[in-house]
Amino acid sequence: MSSLHSIAGGKRAVLLFLALLITALLLLPESRQAPLQTLGRHMADAVAIPLRALEWVNQGVDGLWTRYGLLHHVREENVTLRQDSARLQLENARLREVAAASTRLRDLLELKERLPFPTVSAQVVGRDPSNWYRSVVIDKGTDDGLAIDMGVVTPAGIIGRIVKAYDRFAIVLLIIDQSNAVTGVVQRTRDEGIVEGTETGLARIKYLPLLSTVKVGDQVVTSGLAGGFPRGLPIGVITKIERREADLFLSAEIAPDSDFAKIEEVLVVTSPRESAQLPPMPFPLQPPARRDAGDAR
Amino acid sequence: MKVAASVALVLLVIPIQIVLLDRISIAGIRPDLALVTVCLIGLYRSEVETVLAGLVMGFAQDLFSGGALWGNLCLKPVLGLLAGLAGRNLVNLTWAVVLALMLGISLLSGFVLYLLKSFTGSGVSLFPAAHGIILPQAGYDAMLGLAVYRLIRRWNPRRAPLTALAP
Repeated sequence: MSSLHSIAGGKRAVLLFLALLITALLLLPESRQAPLQTLGRHMADAVAIPLRALEWVNQGVDGLWTRYGLLHHVREENVTLRQDSARLQLENARLREVAAASTRLRDLLELKERLPFPTVSAQVVGRDPSNWYRSVVIDKGTDDGLAIDMGVVTPAGIIGRIVKAYDRFAIVLLIIDQSNAVTGVVQRTRDEGIVEGTETGLARIKYLPLLSTVKVGDQVVTSGLAGGFPRGLPIGVITKIERREADLFLSAEIAPDSDFAKIEEVLVVTSPRESAQLPPMPFPLQPPARRDAGDAR
Repeated sequence: MKVAASVALVLLVIPIQIVLLDRISIAGIRPDLALVTVCLIGLYRSEVETVLAGLVMGFAQDLFSGGALWGNLCLKPVLGLLAGLAGRNLVNLTWAVVLALMLGISLLSGFVLYLLKSFTGSGVSLFPAAHGIILPQAGYDAMLGLAVYRLIRRWNPRRAPLTALAP
């Protein structure tokens, strides 16, 4: 017990000595504190090592936390941006569709204004329910003044004639259907013939005179002699001439001017013969500039 | 309710065929949804219902077709009845049998329609018609018919095709 007391007493003495030493050092003038400052620098250097390590860890944790917070924010932002992107893509598609429809309708309107006979505009709402006929269903019928045998055109050329008309719908048999027939004339040679569809989805002009000088590339237009079309409307371009020795007539294959897979809006010629001023032959359906622009597209 | 659903189904088939099926056409060939529907009605419903559905759908199909014939009006009820009779006489309607049945009926339909069109002077050659329309459409009809048949079986496994003529 006495030894414990003596140890405690020794400690007290050491602590007292150290306190006095520190007080004495603090009370020394600044000029006399150089050894203390040297010792302090070394001490600071020694402490700086764990300090830097701790600071590094602290910064790391802080950075992680910040990044986590930022990432969380970025994730939300990313979701929002993705939603915006999807919405804008839809909007873009819609606007493209509107722009395309606007161009088509402008062409159709121009055609309607240029044609010197009454027409009714209609929209294609469907295709033939069977694979045996090439026809389209339009959204206008007898209520709008349409009737069987009226001709149907687009800015590119004629596409067919009405074969069935109901109150609010009509069925248009395309000129590429084998059951259809339209009177046509080769624009350059003035040779007349009958244009009908082929099995391959093209058209053919039949009954041309055997001595005709028709050649590939000649334009075929409506003759206006029969059917619901006025004369001079483009049908297509001759791509192949069929000459057979035994035949009394020539026939030629025609690539139609209209793209039948993409017909969306059409004009129905309601009275091709009522107009006092028939169009000059040939009647240009599309202005040249527009046709060029269409080709460029 | 069942009658209303049946009428709605029958009246919807042709508009779907006219407006929407162009989107799933392959090389310009679309399945004959009316034919598939009437065959399935033949398998699952009575003969009278099949004939009525065939008449209505065939009539609607001819109304909106560019052709002047009434081929579908005459054909659809007969083909529906044929499918129904075949289904009642076959022991086990496996998927292969349904596929073959649909294929056969669609081929028959295509061939009869080809004959009708040829006799009316449209000048269709058999080979291009078979190669370009009849065979691909039969394949498409068979695949679609089988898909719908399997969907019906999965949706309502207890409902099985009829095995006897209606009393």
